[in-house]
Amino acid sequence: MPRAFIALLAGIWLALAGGGPAGAQEAPVQVQAAKALVPAGPVATPNVVGELVSAVDALPAAGGTVTLALRQNINPGWHTYWRNPGDSGEPTRLFWRLPEGFSAGPLQWAPPSRLPFGPLVNFGFEGEVLLLAEIAVPPGLAPGEPVRIEARADWLVCEEICIPESVELALVLPVRAEPAPHPRWAEPIARARAQLPQNAPFPAGYALEAQDGLRLWLEAPALVPAIQEGGLLSAAFFPYEDGFLVNAEPQSLSYGPGGLLLDLKAGYRVRGGKPGPERLEGVLVLKERLEDGPAMRAFRLAAPQATVPAGVADHAFAPRSQGNALGAGLALLFAFLGGIVLNLMPCVFPVLALKVLGVAKSGEAGPARRRHGLLYAGGVVLSFAGIGAALLALRAAGAEIGWGFQLQEPLFVTALAFLLFAVGLNLAGLFEIGGGLQGAGQSLAARPGDWGAFFTGVLAVVVAAPCTAPFMAPALGFALTQSSGLALLIFVALGLGLAAPYLLFTFVPGAAAMLPKPGPWMARLKEFLAFPMFATAAWLLWVLSQQAGPAGFGAALAGFVLIGFGVWLARAGSGAAADGRALRGAAAVAVFLALALPVLAPPGPGAARIAAEEAGQGEETADAMAGEGLAYEPYSEARLAAAQSEGRPVFVNFTAAWCISCIVNEQVTLRQDAVVDAFAARGVLALKGDWTNRDPEITRALKRHGRSGVPLYVVYPGAGAENASPQVLPPVLTPALVLAALKAAGKGLTPIASMR
Amino acid sequence: MRAPYSLAAAIALAALFALPGSASAEPGTGAPAPVFSGVDALGNSHSLADYSGKTVILEWTNHECPYVQKHYEAENMQRLQTRAGESDAVWLTVISSAPGKQGYLTPEEAVRKTDERGASPSAVLLDPMGEIGQLYAARTTPHMFVIDGAGALVYQGAIDSIRSTKIEDIADATNYVDAALDAVEAGTSVAVAETAPYGCSIKY
Repeated sequence: MPRAFIALLAGIWLALAGGGPAGAQEAPVQVQAAKALVPAGPVATPNVVGELVSAVDALPAAGGTVTLALRQNINPGWHTYWRNPGDSGEPTRLFWRLPEGFSAGPLQWAPPSRLPFGPLVNFGFEGEVLLLAEIAVPPGLAPGEPVRIEARADWLVCEEICIPESVELALVLPVRAEPAPHPRWAEPIARARAQLPQNAPFPAGYALEAQDGLRLWLEAPALVPAIQEGGLLSAAFFPYEDGFLVNAEPQSLSYGPGGLLLDLKAGYRVRGGKPGPERLEGVLVLKERLEDGPAMRAFRLAAPQATVPAGVADHAFAPRSQGNALGAGLALLFAFLGGIVLNLMPCVFPVLALKVLGVAKSGEAGPARRRHGLLYAGGVVLSFAGIGAALLALRAAGAEIGWGFQLQEPLFVTALAFLLFAVGLNLAGLFEIGGGLQGAGQSLAARPGDWGAFFTGVLAVVVAAPCTAPFMAPALGFALTQSSGLALLIFVALGLGLAAPYLLFTFVPGAAAMLPKPGPWMARLKEFLAFPMFATAAWLLWVLSQQAGPAGFGAALAGFVLIGFGVWLARAGSGAAADGRALRGAAAVAVFLALALPVLAPPGPGAARIAAEEAGQGEETADAMAGEGLAYEPYSEARLAAAQSEGRPVFVNFTAAWCISCIVNEQVTLRQDAVVDAFAARGVLALKGDWTNRDPEITRALKRHGRSGVPLYVVYPGAGAENASPQVLPPVLTPALVLAALKAAGKGLTPIASMR
Repeated sequence: MRAPYSLAAAIALAALFALPGSASAEPGTGAPAPVFSGVDALGNSHSLADYSGKTVILEWTNHECPYVQKHYEAENMQRLQTRAGESDAVWLTVISSAPGKQGYLTPEEAVRKTDERGASPSAVLLDPMGEIGQLYAARTTPHMFVIDGAGALVYQGAIDSIRSTKIEDIADATNYVDAALDAVEAGTSVAVAETAPYGCSIKY
């Protein structure tokens, strides 16, 4: 009993001492000396390290606002919760214990992520998160006396199981006249602030549909080009309150020229014919792909109930697959398997089959057969490596390429169709190759000799180009996102796969003996194999019809006729007869015409439509540039240099059509009146560098600032600035940031001859 | 050999039933409650249809979840169960944790745990495949559902109004289950018919 009584007394004393107000007030305000109850600094629980951090290294003696943050560093696999935790969980709560005169604003929530757990979905944070809060500091603090700020943070941290935790945190800061940014936390806090949800610059609304559907739409045409170009990774809406949505239902995104739309499922507060909320409030989080890695942009939405506008749901959004899904080893394996399967594709199989039969027919001896097998493999591997090298060169030159890009060029498709047609004609026996060189009766695919073997390998790769085998596409897609060395290896693996069956055949002793004896059936089979070739050519013609329109398609068909005619002419003129040369000449003319026609054909409606769209978009961009907002001039190194020599500050905005961040910065920050006025008042020149087509001059400029992509904002100081070096702004702009940068860049002075 | 085939078939069938499927339809408040059927820890089977005419309360539980422990340690849940018993309502505690996950109990363990914590439900339904849980779109432990004698779902959601693991908050909170039972007994409509449930996620 006595022990309990003493404990009770101690408890009461502690409660009074800890909870009582600060001592008597007299100017300047004296804050009570720090009590050694709660240690300052980070506090670690089994799964979270919690800490109170500050953006500045001291409190302003004259009073003002400072930004503090609750930092949670959460163990991998564990998570804490957002203000609406989702299907389960509890949001983090912070209870301040501030000195007299101080007050704290609400906790500012970072944009959450969807955290699936079986059939449920929670909303929260993983890894490290900073939850900001503004603290109002009263004026009249005594400089030199450290101030202690305390808080109790309660949170629920979960992995499979959930653990509620409560930690006491403290932060001690000195008081100074001019606080400086905190050396460690100023930048992370600024980054966190930039990621805070902003008011959506676009109109939004929601509509209720049959089957408990809820469609949330955003009238944001400016974002659509970025989505089309693959700049968007994901979009998700997080309501502030439970019950409006079924949290676990996947949110499918559609878009169209008018903007975007998320298809959601209505929750228990809306189902069953209830009227929806007056405003659906929450945060829309867009994850976008930037050159440096993914980034999040969040918007606060308060969407009223309104009909879905036209043009927001024309296309379903499918994120571009991330290239890093495949490991290097797996990609090599896939490429090899893809190459093997490629042997079975209708464009390659005839070549392979005839090569095999050619060996059987010629009855080559072991060593010669093996040598030819190796030469064939050499031809295949070198050709694939050559294609790979060409693609990598294109990539280095900045072209956005992927496997299959070759089939996007109508002329290439036409040429390939012609080639396959010609090979088919050869197989069908309508003409022979090499009559002059090797003697009559040798078919293209059955040419003996070392060169023949090598050449057949090359041919196999060429005719394989329109065909894609399973396993090939993911391996090559992965290859083109990797370093040159690894990419080439993957192409080589593909080549080895393609060559492997034939190589095996030539090396296995007695394999040739397993083949049936040569006979008339070989000729029949050769003719039969012409048809897979014709089928592939026909497929290419169909692809061409989509790309090139009636004129180009007609030119290709005419080309087929001309090639057939040329082949017949060549055959007719193949003898040593006097008119043979004339006929052969005529054949050459026919083939030349066949090749020339598609080049001369006028572009199809498809091309015209694309050109018109691009022109239209160009007009839009011009409008956007000329309309409200800054009046940009196009970026060039010359223009920049000229402005700098005039002593004029320059703001350069490097952007691209597929960059969502760029568009958002322009819409939200760079159009604000304060910013536009500051540009005008300070005489700052605004240059816009549009990197959509990978302009080399802009690429150079990006590299100069150590960046590999957009957005990039650089402020070049004018003649009146203290600091003469250019200032690079962070990728997420706020008006305060821009205004501060413009201020530091000085005013643009009218050029005075004597200043030179 | 027959064994591998039947084993494979059993696994396939089990997998089929174990598939939780996409987010299931949340039952609507005011609409007829989904008719479930299940087996309790003593091996008896129960169905909603057995209790027509009686008020039925469904309580999802996980004895290791701090939110469930808050209400059991404070005797809050037991108090509600006793009240239900006194007014001839049927209280069914449901355990939807999958085998191996937190909260899963074998029938014997479930009987023992119910006794240990002084609980008095009419039955403890064992739902390791999560079928009843998915049927009701149950998300948390605890998650409460009150069904009136006519079979309509009159309340679904949290047990009370303060989302926390602190026992001291129980006294300050409004207990929604009490309010729903009051309304059903008085024959009036439940004022707060749906709330956001709070607790640990159900370990399907």
